[in-house]
Amino acid sequence: MRFRITALVGVLALALAACSGADDTEATATIDGPTITVASFNFAESTILAEMYAQALEDAGYPVERQLDLGSREVIFPELTSGDLDLLPEYVGSALSVGFGGAPTSDLDTSLADLRAAFEAEGVQVLEPAPGEDKNVYVVTGEFAETTGVTSISDLADAGDVTLAGAPECEARETCYAGMVGEPYNLTNLAFEGIAEGAVRISALENGEVEVAALFSTQPVITEKGFVALDDDQGIVPVENIVPVVSDEIVDAYGEDLVALLNEVTALVTTEALLDLNGRVELNAEDPADVAGDFLAENGITG
Amino acid sequence: MSFWDRFVEWATTAETWTAPGDGLLALLAEHLRLAGVALLLSALIALPPAVWLAHRRRGRVVATVVANAGRAIPSLGILVLVAVLAIEQGFSTRFWPLIVALVVLGVPPIFTNAYTAITAVDPMVLEAARAQGRTERQVLREVELPLGLPLLIDGLRLAAVQIVATTALGAVVGPTGGLGRPIVRGFASLRGGGDVELVGASILVALLSLLVDRGTTLLTRVVVPPGVRRLQAG
Amino acid sequence: MLAQLVRWSWIGDNLDDIGVATVEHLQLTVLSVLLGLVVAVPLAVLVRRRRWLEGPVSGIAGVLYTVPSLAAFALLVPVLGLTSLWTPVLPLATYSLLILLRNTLTGLDSVPEQLREAADAMGYRPLRRFLEVEVPLALPAVVAGVRVATVTNVGLVTVTALLGRGGLGAFILDGIRRSIPFPTSIIVGTVGAILLAIALDLALLWLQRAIAPWQRRAAA
Repeated sequence: MRFRITALVGVLALALAACSGADDTEATATIDGPTITVASFNFAESTILAEMYAQALEDAGYPVERQLDLGSREVIFPELTSGDLDLLPEYVGSALSVGFGGAPTSDLDTSLADLRAAFEAEGVQVLEPAPGEDKNVYVVTGEFAETTGVTSISDLADAGDVTLAGAPECEARETCYAGMVGEPYNLTNLAFEGIAEGAVRISALENGEVEVAALFSTQPVITEKGFVALDDDQGIVPVENIVPVVSDEIVDAYGEDLVALLNEVTALVTTEALLDLNGRVELNAEDPADVAGDFLAENGITG
Repeated sequence: MSFWDRFVEWATTAETWTAPGDGLLALLAEHLRLAGVALLLSALIALPPAVWLAHRRRGRVVATVVANAGRAIPSLGILVLVAVLAIEQGFSTRFWPLIVALVVLGVPPIFTNAYTAITAVDPMVLEAARAQGRTERQVLREVELPLGLPLLIDGLRLAAVQIVATTALGAVVGPTGGLGRPIVRGFASLRGGGDVELVGASILVALLSLLVDRGTTLLTRVVVPPGVRRLQAG
Repeated sequence: MLAQLVRWSWIGDNLDDIGVATVEHLQLTVLSVLLGLVVAVPLAVLVRRRRWLEGPVSGIAGVLYTVPSLAAFALLVPVLGLTSLWTPVLPLATYSLLILLRNTLTGLDSVPEQLREAADAMGYRPLRRFLEVEVPLALPAVVAGVRVATVTNVGLVTVTALLGRGGLGAFILDGIRRSIPFPTSIIVGTVGAILLAIALDLALLWLQRAIAPWQRRAAA
């Protein structure tokens, strides 16, 4: 009887222990102030960028905590605006459209201004944008480009019956499929296949199930496989410059020095750099934190 | 507009249901087709060995392992693994990754229930049947199978419900998975009004599962001989 | 063949991440089964008092069981949000409800009537009789149900990775989220989940036998 009770208590204790999670330990900081919680979306590039900022801050002595791989904006935005998260590497166009239901364009200045206004109302500041972008590109295989001679999205009109493979949500978006079969491209020969994962889309493209695939401009696989990115001649794809967004609380606490450091890192982020870093993670299976660390060291930000 | 208003608008628009290839009715058909094929394959794979082993009163270890280990295999893992295989070998991710995952899901309950059903038949009844001069095959066909039918069909019911439910997962790896497609799509566009089709498609899948569940229960009433049914009830 | 697919060095480098994911996975599984138990056991006791409840209660549990995991998570997201712990735990708990309820009922029903009468005759009050006679005898069946529910839930928790939860499902999805698929991650997630399920099953089997030593020789 006693043994049975002990066993039951043991199981309960195990369960309770399992319920308490592991605590995040903070690196030793030399600057006094609130902990800066750095977040990222659930894809590698976002994590690389977040690690860049996190490591640069740590190296300078700020107290940093990481909450990486969190998920989509649905998860992150409420926490950002409530102050649970402090720093997020964002993309101008997607942040404005998906995050605030706004209408970004291919003009950086107006889109940025709109984004700043939207975020300001939520207690978040938008810092300087990076030169690099990670935007939707619509690619075809090298062979397809050769046989049909298409170089832009408008050219697709003369390429016969073609199908675009994109993420399921792309179908209804003006920046994606909807903008191709409606204004401004008005293509009548384009069908759509919703494929959630990039790797599957690439596979469908390669074995001829679809002719066009929606990928991201900083995916190194594009050049690896000789894909051709179609020119967005009518400009449906909005600007997607990387830009860090920071909570008011942190900016107020640390002031100009913090902002200057973050902007310094941001200035290094070019599209080529992203292609290179993504390549190391995706093709060589390296760790995003290591890759970010190397990048900072090479560019003189850290040690 | 409130969620409810948007939902009603979505649900009452004809195009939501009838759009070719993407309307709810078309997706429902795809869903049933995939689930049906998977169930059939699972039964074809699981029933013959289960029945044969049970008849011979052998393979208890196999049955236990299939039951326990089978339950432990995560469908998502199989789905993605086979999808990756499909990508690397160059065949479509539309069909086989999902079917394989569903069959792995469906075989254990069918196998276990069929095995238990037949081994549970009273040995004295079997002895009597053999004493009457029946061949082994006759014993199986005329005694063991009819007596074991309720439990066997129950295994099919369990498998069917789980398969119908899990078919939706296919949408994670490709343009497949029937009603799973609007679920995945709705997830990805939550801030843009996708919550409506997310909820709608989910309700439909739940209703479908329920229908399959009750439907197979009714099937038992039709298929199982009345004498056996009385035995089970008594 | 499997050895070629797996990049063992990656596993070695990422052991701590794998560990964290396993703990998260374990947490979600344990929480959902516990919640299921907390609801199922009182419900079973209630059903035994008022037998007419058995039909409706089993019916509802059965219906909840048929709601598929992806749909259930999906339905709760607009209501509870993506970050709430209830969003994955609640559906997982309702799946376990059916089997836990059934097994608890079977367990309580299996207590021989003579034993209950003997306890009454010895002057046991109802609560004491329940705790010292009925519960111990019902426990093996309950634990058997907990075993099935736990193993099933380990597999279902992988699906929560679609919600952005960690757990071993995140490794599975990670392997296909890159431009070039990464089988090692998928295998780690899948095999990890299987191993976790088997480990929990064995632990609970040990518990089942430890709790009821007189049943040790009976089939598990």
